[in-house]
Amino acid sequence: MTATEAEAETDSAVVGEETYADGTLVRDPDIEESLSQDEYDPKGTLALLLVYFLILALMWTYMYFVEFLGNGATVIG
Amino acid sequence: MHVHNYEKLWLGASLLLIVGFISTIVYGAAGAGITMVNDEGGQVNPQELGNTSGFDDPGVTKVGPNEYEVHVVGIQFAFQPSTMEVPANSTVTFYVTSRDVVHGFEIVGTNANTMVIPGEVSKITVEFDEPGEYGIVCHEYCGAGHHSMAAELTVTEPSNFTMQDDTQTQTGGNETTNATATPSGGESA
Amino acid sequence: MSTPGETAGETVDSAREMLPDNSFLIQYPHVSRVVRSLFLTAFVAFGIGAFMGVLQALHRTGVARLVDSADYYTLLTLHGVLLVIVFTIFFLAGVFAWANTRSLDRPPVSKRFTWFWVATMSVGTAMAGIAILAGLIPSTDISADVLFTFYAPLQAHPIFYIGLAVFIIGTWLAGIDWFRQYLAWRRENAGERIPLQSFMVLTTMLMWFIATMGVAVEVVVFLIPWSLGIMPAPNPLLTRTLFWFFGHPVVYFWLMPAYLLWYTVLPKIAGGRLFSDPLARVVFVLFLLLSTPVGIHHQYVDPGIAEGFKFIAMTNTMFLLLPSLLTAFTVVASIEHGARQRGGTGYFGWLKALPWRDPAFTGMALAGLMFAAGGFSGMINAGMNINYLVHNTIWVPGHFHLTVGTAVALTFMAASYWLVPRITGRKLYSRPIGLFQVVLWFIGMVFMSAAMHRGGLAGIPRRTAEPQYPQVTFETVAGSVSSLRLQLAFGGVLLFVSALLFLMNVGLTAMNNKPARNLDSALPPALSGPDQSPTVLDNLKLWALIAVVLVILAYSLPLYSIVQGAGLYPAGQEASPAVIAPLLEVIA
Repeated sequence: MTATEAEAETDSAVVGEETYADGTLVRDPDIEESLSQDEYDPKGTLALLLVYFLILALMWTYMYFVEFLGNGATVIG
Repeated sequence: MHVHNYEKLWLGASLLLIVGFISTIVYGAAGAGITMVNDEGGQVNPQELGNTSGFDDPGVTKVGPNEYEVHVVGIQFAFQPSTMEVPANSTVTFYVTSRDVVHGFEIVGTNANTMVIPGEVSKITVEFDEPGEYGIVCHEYCGAGHHSMAAELTVTEPSNFTMQDDTQTQTGGNETTNATATPSGGESA
Repeated sequence: MSTPGETAGETVDSAREMLPDNSFLIQYPHVSRVVRSLFLTAFVAFGIGAFMGVLQALHRTGVARLVDSADYYTLLTLHGVLLVIVFTIFFLAGVFAWANTRSLDRPPVSKRFTWFWVATMSVGTAMAGIAILAGLIPSTDISADVLFTFYAPLQAHPIFYIGLAVFIIGTWLAGIDWFRQYLAWRRENAGERIPLQSFMVLTTMLMWFIATMGVAVEVVVFLIPWSLGIMPAPNPLLTRTLFWFFGHPVVYFWLMPAYLLWYTVLPKIAGGRLFSDPLARVVFVLFLLLSTPVGIHHQYVDPGIAEGFKFIAMTNTMFLLLPSLLTAFTVVASIEHGARQRGGTGYFGWLKALPWRDPAFTGMALAGLMFAAGGFSGMINAGMNINYLVHNTIWVPGHFHLTVGTAVALTFMAASYWLVPRITGRKLYSRPIGLFQVVLWFIGMVFMSAAMHRGGLAGIPRRTAEPQYPQVTFETVAGSVSSLRLQLAFGGVLLFVSALLFLMNVGLTAMNNKPARNLDSALPPALSGPDQSPTVLDNLKLWALIAVVLVILAYSLPLYSIVQGAGLYPAGQEASPAVIAPLLEVIA
């Protein structure tokens, strides 16, 4: 990393390129493409969140009906 | 307003979750009969508990064929009484209040759990199915000795349970005075 | 650190000249100084608060008891107040000062006014802090061992309450400063949509103005006069209710700045664009509307409040899940956009195309992941009758160490790695240490929080120095209580080490002689821009008005019935500890 940065500091071509404060995200124009609003469907996000939905529904059911209602005496009045 | 179809789908799923959660809670209240602590307990003067019916003599009282009342007073840093005994398969109503600051009352291992606020009476009715030994802890910070504030509840087999009216009264009365002198007497009994 | 010789030709001062003219530090050197000063206070509070935290983790688990158990509560008060009041609010004030200025592209109206609120917040903090610390010195008779919630009739020294009031006033002045900045912008930009970051700052501050009314009335009307000996002890249920009027929305005051960073900075760091500007605005409006009329859900097991009021609070609380669930979609979709632009593919494979070596990205992403877990335990907390299971058990601190303790705190740490170079012009001291640090925080919190949640289900209470009672046996579903204690303590130690690494890394950055490079603060435009949303979203007056109406609807009847019950000043309430002589008696 240090070597890369040292090179970067001497390489004037890098200045102005879209790197971040510490060269965190050095963008590679070869693989990079620009996705517009119409071209992009967040299917990965939907997949992740549907998994989250299932976890929530199962955990809620377990917590309410097993942990809570199975927890001995309950306040009934 | 532009919203992506996937996000509309997620919005629908989110609303489903929310409605599902609320429905579960309503089921617990209406179906399983779980009641929240509410304002039924009324108000008391924390300095006048000695002259307040029930709290003047904290402890267990039999009020019906299979019904018991337990009056409990929280003080820094003990419960009065510090030991209680009720029979299994009975209906037990706890009346809990505080003589000084805000305390908590949790019968460990059960859903009997309430705040204890000076001036207010927490009234909770509980049925214990199984005999056993339960610990009671104060679960709200109440001062430097908070961690020593605990009590014991014994749920006895109905056949072994005898309502010791006189002794219970005597013990409760003694503890009131003892605990005043030694506030750390959480285990005095 | 670099030696002076190595950087002779490239000190920060000369490097500043090399910074592009559009970098924040060059354009707004004064605001940068304000932000640096706020961050400094935040980080000092963070360090002390984290130290108190590890002491508690070791103490309550019985691993090492370095203080007397009676003093545990002084440390716990310090831990709570320093971390959730001082660290969070000073840091978010810095973020807001930066974000409002950056997005409106104009400085605050008056430098003097800005420094005035910074000073007011600092003075209030110092007063409250002194009152708490004095609790460790018995000879002073000054103490504030009342924890973060300061429930009466536990009583703190008057300077604790006065300091708190002064601090809150400071935050109000900060809000006024940001609104003046916005109005100045508005005069020159009639008809324009409010820039997104500024919109977020303004809606958050409107929410805060409404929320702090509860604590302001509690402290100024009841607690200060009572602690000075002028007025009798207030109704404890009333002051509790006023506290929670503020005590729940305050969690959104911590969270909304983290959301601001997730919505605006995180997509940029991930190489993507914000998925939807309109939904980001909707989310912040929902928080403004729903954050406050929910506080009674902290009082589900309070006596003196009818069940119907509790049910209404629960319904509002459940709908308050909506903005967070929407945020999950919008933010993850914005990150995914970055991953796909950088070659990511598949339903889950795109996750590999994210910049995981960047501590700012990884920290915020892990913070978001933990928030998903904390969201679940929050859903349990929001449920009315299931609250019997978890109320005031250590489950609750387990929950909020995931939310404020990770979603917020880890986001703030991660954002510091991105923001501190932008307000100092100095290069981040070490990215690898930063990366290690944020991952360590995550791991430490997994241990500590999981142990807390499981301990809570076993009935172990929170807020106690020694949760070991001769009369009580705690039974866990799986694993032993002693192993839970070890996991809690181990997690706490990891968190403390992580906090130290963070402070070291940021401290060395502040002293770093290497200049930061390419300090681009511009944010990429949203995929779905503000032009795709109705302008009514920007009608702040309308939303503020509806928010106030909702609060009145949710609170007027419960407050009325509480006062009807025991009155404003019920007979028989006595302050504890009683050793503090009321100030008036001392003067007389």
